[in-house]
Amino acid sequence: MSGEPAGPVLEVTGLDVHYGLRRRRRQALHDVSLSIAPGETIGIIGETGSGKSTLARAALGLVRASSGSIVIDGEEVGAYGHRQWRALRRRGVIQYVFQDPLRSLDPDVTIETSLAEPLLIQGVSRQEAATRVRAFLDRVRLSEDLLDRLPGELSGGQRQRVAVARALVTEPRLVILDEPVSALDSANRVQILQILKELRADGVALVFISHDLGSVAGVADRIAVLYQGELVEIDAAADVIRRPQHPYTRLLVRSAPTLHSAAADRAERETLRALLRALLHA
Amino acid sequence: MATLSEKVLTEAERNNRAGAEETGTTEPVRPAAAPSTPVLSVRDVRISDQAAGQEIVHGVSFTLTPGKAVGIVGESGSGKTLTCRATLGILPAHFEVTGGSIEIDGQEISGLSSAQWTALRGATISAVFQDPASYLNPSIRVGAQIAEVLKVKKGLKRREAHRQAIELLHAVRLRDPELVYTQYTYELSGGMLQRVLIAAAIAADPRILIADEATTALDVTVQAEILDLLADLRERTGLALVLVSHDLAVVAQLCDEVLVMRQGEVVEQGPTHEVLHHPQHEYTRLLIAEHEQYGLDKFLATDAIDATEAAGAVAAGDKVEESA
Amino acid sequence: MVRRVLSLTSGRIALVILTVIALLAVLGPFIAPDNPLATSPDTLADASGAHWLGTDYLGRDVLSRLLDGSRVSVLGSLEVALTALGVGAIPGILSVYFGRVFEWVTLRLTDTLVALPFLLFAVAVVALLGNGITQAMLVTGVLVSPLFYRVARAATLAVARSPYVEAALISGASIGWVVRRHVWVKVLPPIAVALAQTIGVGFVIVSTLTFLGIGVQPPAPTWGGLLASDLGYLTQKPWAPLVPALLIMVTVWACNLLADAIRDVSGEAGRALVNNRKARANRLAGTDSDADLAHVHAGGA
Repeated sequence: MSGEPAGPVLEVTGLDVHYGLRRRRRQALHDVSLSIAPGETIGIIGETGSGKSTLARAALGLVRASSGSIVIDGEEVGAYGHRQWRALRRRGVIQYVFQDPLRSLDPDVTIETSLAEPLLIQGVSRQEAATRVRAFLDRVRLSEDLLDRLPGELSGGQRQRVAVARALVTEPRLVILDEPVSALDSANRVQILQILKELRADGVALVFISHDLGSVAGVADRIAVLYQGELVEIDAAADVIRRPQHPYTRLLVRSAPTLHSAAADRAERETLRALLRALLHA
Repeated sequence: MATLSEKVLTEAERNNRAGAEETGTTEPVRPAAAPSTPVLSVRDVRISDQAAGQEIVHGVSFTLTPGKAVGIVGESGSGKTLTCRATLGILPAHFEVTGGSIEIDGQEISGLSSAQWTALRGATISAVFQDPASYLNPSIRVGAQIAEVLKVKKGLKRREAHRQAIELLHAVRLRDPELVYTQYTYELSGGMLQRVLIAAAIAADPRILIADEATTALDVTVQAEILDLLADLRERTGLALVLVSHDLAVVAQLCDEVLVMRQGEVVEQGPTHEVLHHPQHEYTRLLIAEHEQYGLDKFLATDAIDATEAAGAVAAGDKVEESA
Repeated sequence: MVRRVLSLTSGRIALVILTVIALLAVLGPFIAPDNPLATSPDTLADASGAHWLGTDYLGRDVLSRLLDGSRVSVLGSLEVALTALGVGAIPGILSVYFGRVFEWVTLRLTDTLVALPFLLFAVAVVALLGNGITQAMLVTGVLVSPLFYRVARAATLAVARSPYVEAALISGASIGWVVRRHVWVKVLPPIAVALAQTIGVGFVIVSTLTFLGIGVQPPAPTWGGLLASDLGYLTQKPWAPLVPALLIMVTVWACNLLADAIRDVSGEAGRALVNNRKARANRLAGTDSDADLAHVHAGGA
């Protein structure tokens, strides 16, 4: 990206994450390294259980890494305790948009309260929070009369925009979005992607997590592919899509529904699946 | 009740068909029944919510001949699911078909008794839905649930049902059918469950399969596997498909004809190729633009992956294998 | 919450009955026409102008005894419910946040309490601490507290793992913030249901204990005590137990009705229920809410 040289917003080096205890211990991430520059948009693609959500949760301090380092905005956070994490989070540098907008908004709390919450936690006064929330609505194309409604009274697209707005209201430098458009239909999908594109123009770094290469292809600068807990490919979006290297990436490209899928793709997918199976057993 | 004789009659017909199936004469049987005769014809169907006194679906028409696939695209609440449910005779409470007609295999469904419906469902028309886990009993092995369909619908004995259930699991390309037969729902992934459900849905050799958002909750790679499976079934057995999705590309991949629905209205209808290349309605254009601006098509439309690159897949795989 | 309960007919009935009972408890001793302890030679009299509900076997005015006894009965059951709430609900919520040791100890303690037969335990404690209604009620309260512990813990667990709590944590919220802003609202409705139910149970317990002569000394009247003494004179006055029995029954029923109403209106389903009623009312009033409903149905299908 353009601009003066600045350190990465997020830098992950040699990250290992394990789940479970003793005999049920399972490795979720293996030696993952990734760096995100300010204002960059990166897509992290992987299937269920590939470790893509674990990567995000580790960067947010919700999951503890077994080894490796995580540097957020110049701070090494690997050894941070509860208190230090809380202090870091209150600065609002890094935010997260959950996969399921319905469940990520408190059903008993009005939209306005939900939106103001991150500001109130930071210690912003109620009045100022209200003004800042209102000033923000335009950017996510929400009208003011939604503010006193409850999440259950909103459409899926509106809820997702509220979830995005809540993550953005503290003006973070990095936003991680978990499957932000998977549950939406075309019109809402386009709207969310449009909003995110504008954000990128404002210099916010974005991490898109998705199982579908197609849903992030249009907005990501770079694409990283996670497979079985390992980062198997990372490159500029156009290169990953046009010249995929790893067989799993190839399968991803061939599997993404496109308007002009050729019948020949079917046979190729079959070959790639067989190849991946062979790799797995090797 | 005149249904008893009818029941016996359909039973006999089904047995004949099942017999034909086993002797391996399937292929000639279906096309012989004149391929142009529609197995499903939906004519100007209107569906109303009787409680609210509102018409929700304002006239849907399409016909389905054996081996053909029709796709319905639309956002949630566009009436695509209601249309499917109407053809299956399972509209939710206080929804009714208030206009038009639906014929399954030449039989008008409006006058069907519940016994006739039971005979029709599974044997002639069948369906799979979005959340496969909720259509299977978690405390019964999945194989037994498929075998049960065979016992009830085809009147098979226990051992024969078991054998055919395993054959079906094999047909939906599950890797280890014997193992899957003995597993419970929680032991299987979403993609595997959807395959099991498809196996159960085609157990009684239906002529029409309705797939309502059947791949929506799955990973893209698994979605492609399921779509490939459906395409395969369609080619091999002449199964007619109704594919419902909110994604135009999913439907375009598999279907000959596409209906675009919005707010209960069919805003565009035609051969897939026509709809993709000459969209008439603004909403269809939006659906296409979504893919061209934000999807893979942005990269592929201008510079499609060519065959030489595709051929290099295996070589690249070897390279990765070495490095791993 | 109160407004939503009041929008249900059952909630309104329950609240009216309970208000009357509460008034009885407060004002009962003052509006009693006679001294509830004063005996008279006119024993086992039928209802008359002088004694609206007749007299008992010692010639005491039954109405006065019922009114005077209501305070002990109501206070006793409230005591049971509030003790159970304090001893059960608070550790229940905290067990989710206070670490594994606290969680394990409180869980095992509640298991132990569940295992004790509570009427027998109450009798034993009364024998130990002396015969008083307060002792008996506190013990009963502790013994029913596992209900509150479980309910509060389950509700807290469900909230603690929800994405919106995680979202608050990611923004830097403290545990205190999360409990105040998110957990408390979700835990309240199930606890309110448990509380209403326990008040009902409390009445039965107070009545049972006084029926057995535990907790209240003989001359002091309670509803359960009246029922017990009346049962001894069924041959002379067969309808006498009816009034105290009816009072106990109506109160318990009102408590259960309230519990049901709270459960019906709380949470997402409750809101939907109340909104549906409103929508139906609007439709009957002829306003045009059909279009919205159509959307809801189409979306649901």
